[in-house]
Amino acid sequence: MRDRVLPLFVWIFGLLVVWEAVSWWLLNVAKTPLAQSKLPYVHEVAATLWKYSGTLLKEGGATFGNAGVGFLIGAVAGVVLAVLMSLSKTIEQLAFPYAVASQMIPILGLAPIIYGIVRDEQVSRIIISGYITFFPVALNMLRGLRSVDLPAVELMHSYAAKPWAVYWKLRFPAALPGLFSGLKIAAPLAVTGAILVELMGAQHGIGVIMLRNLYYGPSHTYMFWSTVLVGALLGMASYWLMSLVERLVAPWQPEFRPKGGSR
Amino acid sequence: MLVNPTWMKESNRYARTCVMLYNINKKIKSDSGVKGELDMSLVAARIPEIQLQNVEMRYQTDTADVLALHQVSLDIAKGEFVSLLGPSGCGKTTLLRLMADLITPTGGDVTVAGKSAREARLAQKYGIVFQSPVLYDWRKVKHNITLPLELMGVKKSIREDKALELLDLVGLQGFADKYPWQLSGGMQQRVAIARALSMEPEILLMDEPFSALDEFTRERLNEELLSVWNKVQSTIVFVTHSIPESIFLSDRVFVLSPHPGRLSAIVDIPLPRPRTAEMRNSPQFFELIAHIRDSFEGV
Amino acid sequence: MESNTTVRDIPFIASSGKEAATAPITSTNNEITTDPDKRRSPRRPSKWLNPGVILPLLAGVLFLILWEVQVFHKLFDLKKYQLPLPSAIAEAIRDHFSLLLSYTGYTLTEAVVGMLIGSACGLLIALAATAWPRWGGGSLTLVAALNAVPIVALAPIMNLWFGDGIGSRAAIVTATTMAAMAINAYKGMAAVDPLALDLMHSYAAGKPAVFRYLRIQNSLPYVFTALKINATASMIGAIVGEFFFSSRGLGYLLSNSIKVAKMPLGWSCIVLAAIAGVLFYLIVERLEKVFIKWHSSQRS
Repeated sequence: MRDRVLPLFVWIFGLLVVWEAVSWWLLNVAKTPLAQSKLPYVHEVAATLWKYSGTLLKEGGATFGNAGVGFLIGAVAGVVLAVLMSLSKTIEQLAFPYAVASQMIPILGLAPIIYGIVRDEQVSRIIISGYITFFPVALNMLRGLRSVDLPAVELMHSYAAKPWAVYWKLRFPAALPGLFSGLKIAAPLAVTGAILVELMGAQHGIGVIMLRNLYYGPSHTYMFWSTVLVGALLGMASYWLMSLVERLVAPWQPEFRPKGGSR
Repeated sequence: MLVNPTWMKESNRYARTCVMLYNINKKIKSDSGVKGELDMSLVAARIPEIQLQNVEMRYQTDTADVLALHQVSLDIAKGEFVSLLGPSGCGKTTLLRLMADLITPTGGDVTVAGKSAREARLAQKYGIVFQSPVLYDWRKVKHNITLPLELMGVKKSIREDKALELLDLVGLQGFADKYPWQLSGGMQQRVAIARALSMEPEILLMDEPFSALDEFTRERLNEELLSVWNKVQSTIVFVTHSIPESIFLSDRVFVLSPHPGRLSAIVDIPLPRPRTAEMRNSPQFFELIAHIRDSFEGV
Repeated sequence: MESNTTVRDIPFIASSGKEAATAPITSTNNEITTDPDKRRSPRRPSKWLNPGVILPLLAGVLFLILWEVQVFHKLFDLKKYQLPLPSAIAEAIRDHFSLLLSYTGYTLTEAVVGMLIGSACGLLIALAATAWPRWGGGSLTLVAALNAVPIVALAPIMNLWFGDGIGSRAAIVTATTMAAMAINAYKGMAAVDPLALDLMHSYAAGKPAVFRYLRIQNSLPYVFTALKINATASMIGAIVGEFFFSSRGLGYLLSNSIKVAKMPLGWSCIVLAAIAGVLFYLIVERLEKVFIKWHSSQRS
């Protein structure tokens, strides 16, 4: 454990030091225009983060909440589609090519269009987040449902288990790792989608104050950078949250086993 | 073995089969010079638990028509321990899967516990152990063992008691709350055996259960399996490609040969019960090994 | 390393995308036959009569027809200026074809340049992390964290740094493609068969030789998986980057058309972006086939 954490802290600390140094250099030596906007002092940004933590937390929470609602809806829909695809060959043949193709298309590009159609920030944020979540979850869940190996199914068959029992006792638990990898891919994307919609026009959310402080110009640069950091933290937090839930719900997976020792 | 007069009446036809088997045995024995006696009254008294008649299995692959099993007929008596022995590709696993109704034969009849194989499966007449333990990663050891009971709707308190009892039987006390990955390969396979025994089946079907284990573990588990069998008194069909393993465990060894898969010999194992580790070193044991090996070379 | 898992699983999407793109008929059907009673039946008579092709095609056509005859408009109470008809979109593409084509080229350039730089950086990070695991590993975690940063937050900063030309979008794409490459390539270089490593040691091979003969070869399939992920991600990065500070490109035209309520033109941008994205992906996939013929995923 110490072996990994220590270098990471050194890295983070080193990065912050370099940042602070370059910032100083840009401002005092290179004298570039808009030096503080380009790379503000770390301590100033940290101070702003602290000072406005209430606002940032509230707006960040709004973004996170909207992304979360869309994420949940998209995830549920994705799971349902995956189960339908695993049950019916026809549905699979119908939906699978589109699900795969959708992965190759710049989905986020749809954001302005959906905003154009719905004209409601709340709803469009939820739709975008849900839409982005939907396909990774559906594809990974389907892979999970399929990952069950033959002897495990034969065992169920030998017990004369009913189809629902095969799903409930075998396929769903076996699909959980797949589901969570889909959720972990989708969670930061859902946050990105929500912020994107906010940048196009909304009342609340971290994207809104990000845009506002950008337009206010250099005098608000610290606040702007704070919002960027909060956005980044939201993305990471969403990922960590999913990892945490995974650990609670599906703790038996190989990655979570202690290394060495048992083998 | 109990000798029940009513069984004897019912099993007239079976007695005839036994005579036939006896003749085969006698022939094998006279060929190889192995001494051994078959107690006819005892055999005739056994009722067939598993019966295969002219079973044929064809596979269709993209390139060819494969005849996996050709005209296999055999009877396995209640309470008997038999092995299906042969090289890979002889159809021994196929044969076991037919009995388990995991596949359906393309010809012939399979009767298990007096029913068709399908009915026997639906009535949960057998427990099965695969080559790999096939434990569900997300279930603790005890919950893996009680999986079949859960599917049958048995009450939770009864299930838990049964799990502890079975863990005791296979010598895994104290492992109930572990996850499968925390156990060694041999222990996992013992959990799989406990699981197969959980619904107290009349028949235990075992498909090369110890083939992935090292020789030492395998021999120890062989002995443990026999002591478990002694307690539960079920019929066991054991697939293996190890000649010593089949001899050590079985009452009878069904020797199969490939291309096409067929039954080429039935060898009685006259070693006394209970079997002990020392028997592996007895001259009789080695004679049996040589004898079975000969029966392969004759093919 | 916790963040390893983010990208670890993306390959599935990429690889399944590959399957579907090259052979939509067979590969979508090749699930494990879970029902032991089921026998495989002899295969289809003709490629085009296969339901795997016919069904989605029919569904797509049906969808377009329903859209064209305004069923969705009635269903969701939408006006034509909110959701333009397919015919109007096709018309917009025809009317602005040369403009759209040049913008597609512009956006694609940003995506390709950014992706190449980002993937190169990712590869270097992976090399460093493999060569010096203790200290290089930390950089991997940092890069993975960068992966979770919303692209849109990067746009204004990159704009400040690199102006509003191609550079700023290329920088955004670089930032978003670095992580996938770093983590995948690292996995490929680390996931070397221990015995193969012992073999190299028995030849008294030094670190550079182990990299040259073993690790880099071994990482190639992973590298291409990352490139395929990045092909898609780079298009998204470029388009989203153009939404805010740009005067050219598909993303610019898209958001601008929406602002002035030229919906059909906006939609035509999406259509072209989708086509460009798929093409980009297919080209990367083609390259993969050329470069790693030996890998098991390439055998039929």
